Amino acid sequence: MPETTQGPRAPSGFNLPDFPAVKKSVIDSQIWRSIFRGGIWKDTPRDRAAHVIGNVWLHLHPVRVRPRALEWTYTWGLGGISFLLYLILTVTGVLLMFYYRPTVELAYRDMKDLEFAVTLGTFMRNAHRWAAQAMVVFVILHMVRVFLTGSYKKPREFNWGVGVLLLTLTLFLSFTGYLLPWDQLAIWAVTVGTNMAGATPLLGNEGPFGSLLGMRINNDVRFTLLGGTIVGENTLVRFYVLHCVAVPLLVGALLILHFWRIRKDSFSAAPRDPNEEKVEVWPHLVVREYIAAAACTLAIMVWSIWMNAPLEVEANPNVTPNPSKAPWYFLGLQELLVYFDPWIAGVALPGLIIVGLMAIPYLDTNPKGIGFYSWKDRAFANTQFLLGVAMWFILIYIGYYCRGPNFAWFWPWESWLTQQPPPPPTWNVFGPKGDAVLPTWLGVLALGGGGVLAIVGPKLVQRDLSGKPLCLGFAGLMALVAIGAHFIGHLAWLQGFWLVMFSVLYFYFGFVLPQRHIRSLEWPRYVITMFFVVGMMSVLLKMGARLGFDIKYVFTLPAFNLNI
Amino acid sequence: MADIIGPSSGTSQQAATPEANQPPAASAAAAGPRPIAAKPAGQVSRRDFLWLGWASLIAFLGSSAAATARFFFPNVIYEPSQKFNAGPAESYGEGVDLRWLNEQRIWIVRTPPEHEQGPGFYAVWARCTHLGCTPNWFGDQGRFRCPCHGSNFNLNGDVIAGPAPRALWRCAVEVTATGDLMVDKAILQDLPGLREKAPFFARHDA
Repeated sequence: MPETTQGPRAPSGFNLPDFPAVKKSVIDSQIWRSIFRGGIWKDTPRDRAAHVIGNVWLHLHPVRVRPRALEWTYTWGLGGISFLLYLILTVTGVLLMFYYRPTVELAYRDMKDLEFAVTLGTFMRNAHRWAAQAMVVFVILHMVRVFLTGSYKKPREFNWGVGVLLLTLTLFLSFTGYLLPWDQLAIWAVTVGTNMAGATPLLGNEGPFGSLLGMRINNDVRFTLLGGTIVGENTLVRFYVLHCVAVPLLVGALLILHFWRIRKDSFSAAPRDPNEEKVEVWPHLVVREYIAAAACTLAIMVWSIWMNAPLEVEANPNVTPNPSKAPWYFLGLQELLVYFDPWIAGVALPGLIIVGLMAIPYLDTNPKGIGFYSWKDRAFANTQFLLGVAMWFILIYIGYYCRGPNFAWFWPWESWLTQQPPPPPTWNVFGPKGDAVLPTWLGVLALGGGGVLAIVGPKLVQRDLSGKPLCLGFAGLMALVAIGAHFIGHLAWLQGFWLVMFSVLYFYFGFVLPQRHIRSLEWPRYVITMFFVVGMMSVLLKMGARLGFDIKYVFTLPAFNLNI
Repeated sequence: MADIIGPSSGTSQQAATPEANQPPAASAAAAGPRPIAAKPAGQVSRRDFLWLGWASLIAFLGSSAAATARFFFPNVIYEPSQKFNAGPAESYGEGVDLRWLNEQRIWIVRTPPEHEQGPGFYAVWARCTHLGCTPNWFGDQGRFRCPCHGSNFNLNGDVIAGPAPRALWRCAVEVTATGDLMVDKAILQDLPGLREKAPFFARHDA
């Protein structure tokens, strides 16, 4: 560095370099100028705009945004943090690949090497694991934020759909990565997950109508996923390639699309006052982004030093740990599998959740509440969405804290060592003689009629009903029914409690709310919306039927493998 | 390409209509289906040629996709043999034997003489019919209980509780001339009435 001018003299007599002059000479050098575009920085609005436009890293930002978009309490930085975690996962993932070989012989040994023999191996693995879990959390939170601020509404419907795909792929990345350590947790989570694929209707060997299409254990969709009939060598390589190459590339492509559409559709934040000035992205937004990124990176580092990623004993394809639990973000799904056949819980319900989420912007045509948090204007949409999210997390809670050995129900305060009576025998309501209590035709009539009534009912009452007396009245009625059934029949008190609780929940969310809020919607949108609402509430009802009344299937047709 | 008839630039009055490539004789019936007879024999119109082109392209892409999908189905898989020698039949006591669970994922059940099928062996594949976990045998409760979603099966393999859709599979068993028990996990049966007969039940007097 050339000493250009006589620098300020330090009191001690040493010559300190003249930093501003050094900086100037560096910035004015040909090398710097060739790397960073733009002329001499005068910190004018033009400079700040040029800085965003002329920088490949920053150019997806607009030049100016609404002041609200800068507020922590509007975006919470959730989308940006999700992207940062994706970058951290890419870097740590690539580093781990240097020491990992995806074969049944070597995979688990390499995990042990990473743990004990590789410098920083444990740290990198921890960071990869914790960043992955954090990414699942932040992507979900980002979705909730976007929903609550109405940011998916016109013209951003398509980008919401891209976001739903990204959420799905985030979970799929977690799932494929889960097999790679080749420990007991890995192999059994993937065995269960891929067997769900085997239960896909038509395409799986154990799914409804699968045998009609000639599906066998060695030619169905599960066989493709596994590359064999068991979780083995081929499966490990397939998941490795999906996890390290195929899915990250797909996610990257969708991320570019996602960001591009945010830029083109503009930030959702609404103006606080109609004549407000927009704020410059550089430095205001960029600084906030960097602070959030630095804080999150630091948090992941601290977490990775503090806590080690779990690693169980080496995979044994013949013996399952007891209890065997999926990673927490799939525990809700595992809990659903207790109540429904695999093709419903593992294929149909997740599919409906994804399709339902993507359909939201096209169903919710309410023009109010875009770009800010509003409850009053969007009571119905917010309540139903948050109910869905809450149900997902309640299922996770049950799976995590209320399931013990043999996946039996243990309350969180009960020791897993206490003797539990084995679960009582289950029974079916509607179905062929011998399989169920009531005949099939009655079931078709009851479920079909009940379903149609549940969907159409709220729109048939066009008067403005008052919610509170209606709910209290219904709860009282159900309580009377429960009490009557206790004394006349042999309904236990706990069963009565389940009956009242689940039916009142259904009544409020499935009838009162739609009646009050969406009865004026035109028929097609109304019916589709109600289909998803009633579907969500039916899951709740089925859970109540199993937990309270040991009902295995409400409706069963064993000949077609069709059990609901 | 010379035999393709395109919209002629001379017939400007027709070129403006969607059916521009028809000969003048057909112009009166422009709203109806195109009269094929009006086309000179052996010639293909530009529109039909384009349709053919698009159709071939789609067929090509479709069959390429199908062929690539086929790529993901391995033709040869290297998986362990499903048949194994379970040792001398005489080494088994009555009831459920767990010795092959770790290696072969099989429970060997020896029935007592007073059993309705008489004395003999059957082998139960230790794979839950719900989602493929390995259940555990609880002798005091007389149940197989699955650790993944809580399915319960009785000694016959029938579902008592939990989400499993059907009974546990039984494997083909036979007692060889040397007195060894052979089990073949590739031959399976779960229907009552069939699963109690050979080859899914091997009669063996002590």
